[in-house]
Amino acid sequence: MNNRLKTIVEALIFISQKPLTPEKIKDVLQEFPPEEIDQAIEELLQSYSSNERGIQIIKSAGGYIFSTNPEDDHWIRRLLRIERKNKLSPAALETLSAVAYHQPITLSEISALRDTDSFHTLKTLLQKKLVKIVGRKKSPGRPLIYRTSHEFLSYFGLESLKELPSQEEISKILEAGEDVQE
Amino acid sequence: MESTETYQVKLKVFQGPLDLLLFLIRKQKIDIHDIPIAIITQEYLEYLEQKEKINLNREAEFLLMAALLIYIKSQMLLPREKAAEEEEDPRESLVHRLLDYQKMKAASTLLKKKEAEELLKWKRTFLPPLLRIEDLDLVEVSLFDLAEAFFAVLKRKEREDFQIIKRKEHSVEEKIREILTILRENSYLDFLDFFIRQQTLEEALVSFFSLLELIKAKRVMAVQERRFQSIKVWLINDSPTGK
Repeated sequence: MNNRLKTIVEALIFISQKPLTPEKIKDVLQEFPPEEIDQAIEELLQSYSSNERGIQIIKSAGGYIFSTNPEDDHWIRRLLRIERKNKLSPAALETLSAVAYHQPITLSEISALRDTDSFHTLKTLLQKKLVKIVGRKKSPGRPLIYRTSHEFLSYFGLESLKELPSQEEISKILEAGEDVQE
Repeated sequence: MESTETYQVKLKVFQGPLDLLLFLIRKQKIDIHDIPIAIITQEYLEYLEQKEKINLNREAEFLLMAALLIYIKSQMLLPREKAAEEEEDPRESLVHRLLDYQKMKAASTLLKKKEAEELLKWKRTFLPPLLRIEDLDLVEVSLFDLAEAFFAVLKRKEREDFQIIKRKEHSVEEKIREILTILRENSYLDFLDFFIRQQTLEEALVSFFSLLELIKAKRVMAVQERRFQSIKVWLINDSPTGK
């Protein structure tokens, strides 16, 4: 029974293109007791944690998703004929940081923080679905307000926003010195 | 004889005359939040009731001190108006902004690191369409189709009221390199999307000529899955010399 549950959970995670949350799994497997599902997830994670496999299950954005091992990147790119993956520009990363730490935030607030007009960068981030519009601020002009999205978390492999470096960690980096300003 | 003595306040955090308490609060040796004013006044009233005579001086003094205490505490408890804050210290807001800026810079460095780590782990989410040009039943578009699509984009751009602030020189060689880079990274390029992103008419024209050059050299192919669908440009021969 338990083994059966484990394979079902494995199948559900495999078929999901986005991180699959435990809640969603329980929602689908409503016939099974939640504790058994938790246990099945736990066992499944354990069986994948050995280094013998080319794929692993990782926690991301509050859910589980299959991923390859970082060491195999080279071979995968050769198969897919991709020389390298697109990375976000420094401006995009900076804007994302501003949103992540100050959300909910408006465009003019982002621009003020960065000391530069961020309209285009924000537009790109919206297209990439890394930020989302959550409403309008009740202030003159009723500007749009933005937040980071679920995709933001999974893109950076974060489980939740709490994983972002805290004030202390940031101070440490700042103390560490010049390599911050690349 | 008792009447000449000042009234003593008895609290957990403080014991003594009220004026001393006020002094300490103003010097910030004692936190006003820890002072229960209701209890002080309550006890004072009880103390008064026990007295036969009222010492006007002493009572007036207490009233003044108590009023000051209440004023200070109310100031601490009430949310301040924005205007008052702005007047405070302009340097403070500058320091605050600088700190925010530093924080953001540091955070983006970390995000960059995270991104690099994460991009090495391939997920099904990241998979580009596994299409290869030979697997598709595609229609290669004619020069006429391309030109038509190009002018449609130009028309659309015309309506935007944009101004050229900085004039940048564009060369066909440069554009060819840019197009090839996009193709290598993304496996294909969306024609419409690409031209909409061009900043100026000049840049769009140079891009169009570059694309035509590439098609002529059979290094890329412009295709449509079906008529009237979006035109996609695929890389077919990466090296300029190889056939």
